[in-house]
Amino acid sequence: MLHIGNERVPLCGGNTRRSFLQAGAATLTGLTLPGLFQLQAAGAVDESKAKIKNCITLFLVGSPGQLDTWDMKPDAPDDIRGKFKPIQTNVEGVQICEHFPLMARMMDKVALVRSLHHKTGASHENGQRWMMSGHDFNENNPQPYMGSVISRVFGPKGNLPASIILPDKIGNTGTATPHGQQAAYLGSAHEPFFLGGDPASGDFKVANLTPPAGQTELRIDARRNLLKQIDEIQRRSETKATRDLDTAYERAFNLLTSPETKKSFDLGDEPDQVRDRYGRNTFGQSCLMARRLIERGSRFVTVNHFDTVFNLSCWDMHADGGGLDNTYDDYERLLCPQFDWAFTALVEDLEQRGMLEDTVIAVLTEFGRTPKLNNRGGRDHYPSAWTNFFCGGNIQGGRVVGSTDKIGAAPHDRPVTPPEVVASIYHAMGIDLETTMMPGPGSRPIRFIEAQPIRELF
Amino acid sequence: MEQKFEGTPQAEIKLEGHKLIRSDVTNDWGLRVQWLIKRDGQVVDNPNARADLTYEHPDQTPGTYEVILQMWKYVNYRKKDGEYVESTYIDISNAVTYTI
Repeated sequence: MLHIGNERVPLCGGNTRRSFLQAGAATLTGLTLPGLFQLQAAGAVDESKAKIKNCITLFLVGSPGQLDTWDMKPDAPDDIRGKFKPIQTNVEGVQICEHFPLMARMMDKVALVRSLHHKTGASHENGQRWMMSGHDFNENNPQPYMGSVISRVFGPKGNLPASIILPDKIGNTGTATPHGQQAAYLGSAHEPFFLGGDPASGDFKVANLTPPAGQTELRIDARRNLLKQIDEIQRRSETKATRDLDTAYERAFNLLTSPETKKSFDLGDEPDQVRDRYGRNTFGQSCLMARRLIERGSRFVTVNHFDTVFNLSCWDMHADGGGLDNTYDDYERLLCPQFDWAFTALVEDLEQRGMLEDTVIAVLTEFGRTPKLNNRGGRDHYPSAWTNFFCGGNIQGGRVVGSTDKIGAAPHDRPVTPPEVVASIYHAMGIDLETTMMPGPGSRPIRFIEAQPIRELF
Repeated sequence: MEQKFEGTPQAEIKLEGHKLIRSDVTNDWGLRVQWLIKRDGQVVDNPNARADLTYEHPDQTPGTYEVILQMWKYVNYRKKDGEYVESTYIDISNAVTYTI
């Protein structure tokens, strides 16, 4: 249930304004819209600062091996270089894995960072926290997700939430620690909106925007009308705070009932050729939905490629013969083709629509994988070296930043840390990190991130 | 969440001499698509067909060649002795033949 507002407003019959709204509104997981909109109405969000670029992050949960994808070492020994071969890209001297043939043709738009590393542990969750927030942290000192920061400082552009995560939140990836996709001290109003559904599913509906059984849009409208009457009675004691709350309620209603909002999530609007081009699968259709949401006003969309690493084909290539039995075959047949098809569709689509200059795409992972193949032919977690990449926005394509040693085991030059990646994303969105502050714990102004952008990307 | 795959992929292939030409794939799952090439009934190659709509197999060994387009069908990742139990390649096109 969506609980709109926290204040109890007594009515003649003993009901409260709150209970009216609790009764019929749809679930908005992790998002208290009135709080968000109230903040905006109160002037905490400065619309003049809102002219920033958008961002789509593709988060490859499980994490591909650098040696099998974007930092190949064909001259290394057999048990290090792996099974795949490199191919030439359209940027002289830059090679990537043979199973990204379409990406190879657009490397002039992409900037690789091949020297990422961190030193705080090899769990998926360590990497998720680093790459989603720019910090590692524990439950007692949570740090906000990038999308929540953007939501808090710049607010929404329309009815859509500023920050959306598709298709769902990250679940079990090994340890019961945070995944880095939460608002933390920025407050529940800035939690990302999780789609909570699979856009590749034939019966897909946006659960969070669909009234529960027995509750129709007409009933929600009826509640809005009743609320207006109640509001008239309350005008006598009106304060600025209650006016802000009214605005917040109105915008929450708009999100729940607006046909335009629902249309943003409706892939049935897209031509079949476009849906085919992204790939008729969960990841591809989520990438397409990300484009639609950015096009219609959302600022920061993350697509989680997988929400777990257990018992399914994903990037976590341990080849353990059990619940983590991903192998080269999974990379060759499913993972690399699926990513190559969807990623290049997204870049092409944004470019054809004139949106690529205003949209940063960041492809992020938690860590790399061990340079030496394990005794089952897989690779295990390895945070000492890996590759991520970027395009769109202010990013200069065709560049490679940093390198690793001969076996992809450690940065050889220009080592890069996760906070620098996060700083680069903010910078690529057009945010001046020297002059723009965000509210920290206790609302004291703090810098977005204590790191400098990777200058070689711009 | 397992990846879901919508619809059934389908394509057409034709020959111009020995050059294979394929259509775009409808209901494209976005997974590996390959030319399955047999000579006299034996599989001799399965090159990636994703990047280009045309392909000419370089093998000039005499024989009758049959070619069909395939796509990976992911059901689940279960394997036994390194082989998938349920996931498999499926044919998504007509077959064409030529003789050298």
